[in-house]
Amino acid sequence: MTNQPEILHYAVSVVGKDRTGIVAGIAEVLFRLGCNLADSSCTMLAGEFAMILIVSHPRPFSKTRLHDELKPVCDSLGMSLAVRTLHADEITRLETQGEICVISVYGADQPGIVFRVTRELATQGVNIMDLNTRLIGSHDAPVYVMMLEAAIPDGQTPEGLEGLLGNLRQELNVEIGVRVVTPVSL
Amino acid sequence: MPIQPILRYPHPVLKKLCNRVDICDAVILNLVADLLDTMHAGPGSVGVAASQIGVTLRVCVVDVSASRHGRDNNHGQLCMINPEIIARSGAAIMREGCMSVPDYTGDVERATEITVRFCEPDGTERQVAASGFEAVAIQHEMDHLDGILFLDRITSIKTGLFRRKNYA
Repeated sequence: MTNQPEILHYAVSVVGKDRTGIVAGIAEVLFRLGCNLADSSCTMLAGEFAMILIVSHPRPFSKTRLHDELKPVCDSLGMSLAVRTLHADEITRLETQGEICVISVYGADQPGIVFRVTRELATQGVNIMDLNTRLIGSHDAPVYVMMLEAAIPDGQTPEGLEGLLGNLRQELNVEIGVRVVTPVSL
Repeated sequence: MPIQPILRYPHPVLKKLCNRVDICDAVILNLVADLLDTMHAGPGSVGVAASQIGVTLRVCVVDVSASRHGRDNNHGQLCMINPEIIARSGAAIMREGCMSVPDYTGDVERATEITVRFCEPDGTERQVAASGFEAVAIQHEMDHLDGILFLDRITSIKTGLFRRKNYA
């Protein structure tokens, strides 16, 4: 038996037109509530500022309470808000096996780049951990850039994976590179 | 005192500037032995600095000979007292992790070739030209002697890869 209170976890996403004070506004509410910001990733996507937060709080607490406290500040900032309860088995830190790679894909913009590449990766058992895409280039010659970080399965090599993506490279006429970025522990 | 526990941030010693060693006496020899024992005990560990075991002296050990990144290019076990980098060139980015900052990694740019001068435990001066992973490991451990963690050197976040685009 333990006397430690159970820790509840929530996934919070906040998205809206970028302006100053969004993070401070959300963080102030969480601080006032006694919430812990366990993990977060926030970035600018086009002109939108997108926040994804994993928030924890000891019991007693509720998703409704969290939502109701965040709603006024989100409304005042013009941001959308979504809150989801995470179950205990969803919040364990996953240790990855195998090499971690950055996979870069870029080429003339066309429909289906993300779908075709990620479908192939999923078929190969490659787990995507981070992905961002951006449309660059000129209006007349738009270029699509996708950078993703993925754990490749044991037994698979970066060169082997690059080879397996070779067909897609030809078919879509895009560049595809696989580079190992597995951290070195020092 | 063989294997020592590795201090983890926010232990204050990790941010301290370490002091030069004046004389390689029995205290220093014991410290080097502890550093080696601690390095060999850590799974996959390729280096330990004195501050990581709570001693604010400019001593560190590095050995990348058993690691896959360094096994083909190394000087074996290096016990470095008062190490100084006297030449550096090149730059490469490697994703680093540190036993003193668990569960976090980041891309750090380091020189690819360095010449480091240091004192051996027996008092002789030595100069080593290191490159590749060994050079990275030496720079990482020497940073500890200045109270610098890899967190202080992370220069880019992923979204920084791209210039901001005006969508208007």
